Amino acid sequence: MRRNVSLWAGIVLVGLVVGVALVSFAWTPHDPLLVDASVRLLGPGGEYVFGTDKLGRDLASQLMVGARTTLYVGVVAVGIAALIGTPLGVLAGMGANWLGELIMRTSDLVLAFPALLLAIMLGAVYGASTLTAMIAIGIATVPSFARIARAGTLQVVSTEYVLAARAGGRSRWWIAVRHVLPNISGIVVVQSSVSFAIAVLAEAALSFLGFGTAPPTPSWGRMLQESQELLAVEPRLALIPGAAIAIAVLGFNLLGDGLRDRFDPRLEVRR
Amino acid sequence: MQALLWMRARWIAATLTTVLLLSGCSAGSTATVGGEDALAVGFTAEPQNFDFTSTDGAAIPQALLYNVYEGLVKLDANGEIAPLLAESWTLSDDRTVYDFRLRTGVRFSNGAPFTAEDVKFSIERVQTDWTISLKSTMDVVDRVDVVSPSHARVVLREPSNSWLFAMTTRLGAMFDPSGVDDLANRPIGTGPYQVSDRRRGDSIVLSANSRYWGARPAYPTVVLKYYRDATALNNALLSNGIDVISGVTAPDSVPQFEADTRFDVLQGTTNGEVVLAFNGNRAPLDDVRVRRALTYAVDREALLAAAWGGRGNLIGSMVPPTDPWFEDHSGAYPHDPERAKQLLSEAGQQNLNLRLRVANLPYAISAAQVVASDLDRVGVNVTIEPLDFPAVWLQQVFTDHDYDLSIVQHVEPRDITTFGDPEYYWGYDSPRVRELLDRADTGTPEQQLADMREVAKTLSDDAAADWLFLFPNIIVAKKEVTGLVRNQVSESFDLTGLGRR
Repeated sequence: MRRNVSLWAGIVLVGLVVGVALVSFAWTPHDPLLVDASVRLLGPGGEYVFGTDKLGRDLASQLMVGARTTLYVGVVAVGIAALIGTPLGVLAGMGANWLGELIMRTSDLVLAFPALLLAIMLGAVYGASTLTAMIAIGIATVPSFARIARAGTLQVVSTEYVLAARAGGRSRWWIAVRHVLPNISGIVVVQSSVSFAIAVLAEAALSFLGFGTAPPTPSWGRMLQESQELLAVEPRLALIPGAAIAIAVLGFNLLGDGLRDRFDPRLEVRR
Repeated sequence: MQALLWMRARWIAATLTTVLLLSGCSAGSTATVGGEDALAVGFTAEPQNFDFTSTDGAAIPQALLYNVYEGLVKLDANGEIAPLLAESWTLSDDRTVYDFRLRTGVRFSNGAPFTAEDVKFSIERVQTDWTISLKSTMDVVDRVDVVSPSHARVVLREPSNSWLFAMTTRLGAMFDPSGVDDLANRPIGTGPYQVSDRRRGDSIVLSANSRYWGARPAYPTVVLKYYRDATALNNALLSNGIDVISGVTAPDSVPQFEADTRFDVLQGTTNGEVVLAFNGNRAPLDDVRVRRALTYAVDREALLAAAWGGRGNLIGSMVPPTDPWFEDHSGAYPHDPERAKQLLSEAGQQNLNLRLRVANLPYAISAAQVVASDLDRVGVNVTIEPLDFPAVWLQQVFTDHDYDLSIVQHVEPRDITTFGDPEYYWGYDSPRVRELLDRADTGTPEQQLADMREVAKTLSDDAAADWLFLFPNIIVAKKEVTGLVRNQVSESFDLTGLGRR
């Protein structure tokens, strides 16, 4: 029962974020970038559902377009990590011993390096942008995919059907594609969902620090940053994007949790 | 399994905590203020050390000038040059020889007497030992003669009005030859205060100099407290951690102080022009029609309201109202998008793409978004690129001139002279302006006034840049504190006039 609750709660929250982002392509209540000093710092209600920020921009519209940025960063960063990390993990699990050691020790090295620091370095060298943030978050997440894929691979290659395939003269490539990848795809999907949540948070943190999405493109993290000096005057400006980030992160975590329960082979046996 | 579940729960908790931290990361100060007679003043920029002869930046003179170090002259609250360690001075007819009559009975805080020898030592030391970029202003000095212990004569190579003005800044600070061994940690001057304690990252304690020549200061101890961000600084005053905010940098927070009967809010001007720079070395910004078009397109009144809560002044040129040659040019380019479009089409620039590379600072980011929105309305597409300030901005924009548009605040006093330097990052080169600036510096004060006015007017006519607004000086203080200087005209946060109700 519990697994259903977290899966469905995750789907609802993530669906909300995705839905809002999709709608923003077709419609937003106002132009999110339109600066208008005559309506600055309006409270919620009326024409502006969540009110306006200090430049007179509609908060709701910015929030909607910001969801796009959030998902965009998550998809690309997790895509980079999964596409690089998973093959590396499979290679480490199936290749020669020294190769496996090399890959895993390198990924330990990357893991030891703080993701935010990497992003700040990239931002300083190549200029702060959504792209540098995504690449940095992606690179920093590669090791977690490599580790998980390797663990899964080691489990799969010791099974009897893989031993049979090897005895039958099947190449390593064939085994990797035919047996290993399908069997570890579940845990990769779960890891993706969890990493997505981390990526969303990392993008928000980077934009907050000024190393992420460049203005004026709306980003939840930068909305928080811009509200910082108004915390005592207009806490709404911080609470609303803060809540949006919390919803997205919680949603992807719950989704990952729910998916794990579905995909976990051990639970499958018990069922 | 249990462990996994627990880890997941911990993850969610950590996530939520981080979000909460992100949304409200500032803590109030609980610092205790040092006793009954002490005054605590809050700042945001902390000095790296106490040596302004080798370390650039505004933080050190803000704390030490006029308070610990004194010069022959100072800039008073109205922006006029006033006597300090010199009781009076005369200028020769050829305008190159200054004779300073020194105040007698003045001692440094280490006990050494202040004489004309110290004047010679201090001025020559700028030329020989100082390393900051400003020191070149002292190059015009040919020699310093000690006529008598209370009479110093400074001989200039050529007449220079800016030299005496420079003597009111840190460049004019008087040092004792035996007190310069450890300037970074032990500043020794003739001022009403001396540094008695320093806690790095937190505060500097100034205590009354018992050997001071003038009246004893109203507050025997002044604690300069440093906060990392504007919100923390505001909270410190609200929670009684400090008595004065030296400068509010979050203008939208001012109304909460205005509404509070415990506080007085003083709003004045600074020397900080927030400038939208046009790279005059690059097409199409080398075309005056394009620069004028962009200036017409930006609604500066709305920009000031949106970006800085309407607090500040519109100036229209590179002169703050506290300079003697100020004239209001803010009406030269009224907001007129139609006119802007027309000028752009005359210049043959319909589909313009420009890179706005700004300092990664709150005022610049806010202003940049307003500028981009305004220019979008006249068909100019602007890409905003925030650059880490100071390092990256200084390298790429200021040094390498790699930009189309940029926004930064120019805080140096009388920095209109930068438009006389064709190598400066404006990329502005006008022989007329250079000639006027030269003549203004060497001519009589009347000539200077007329020439400087013409420079300001010419810059406005040429749309050499778009002066978005002048940064306000907003001081918030408890009602009992008096004598704060409304306009920030000098480099010093001047404590000498403070009193109490």
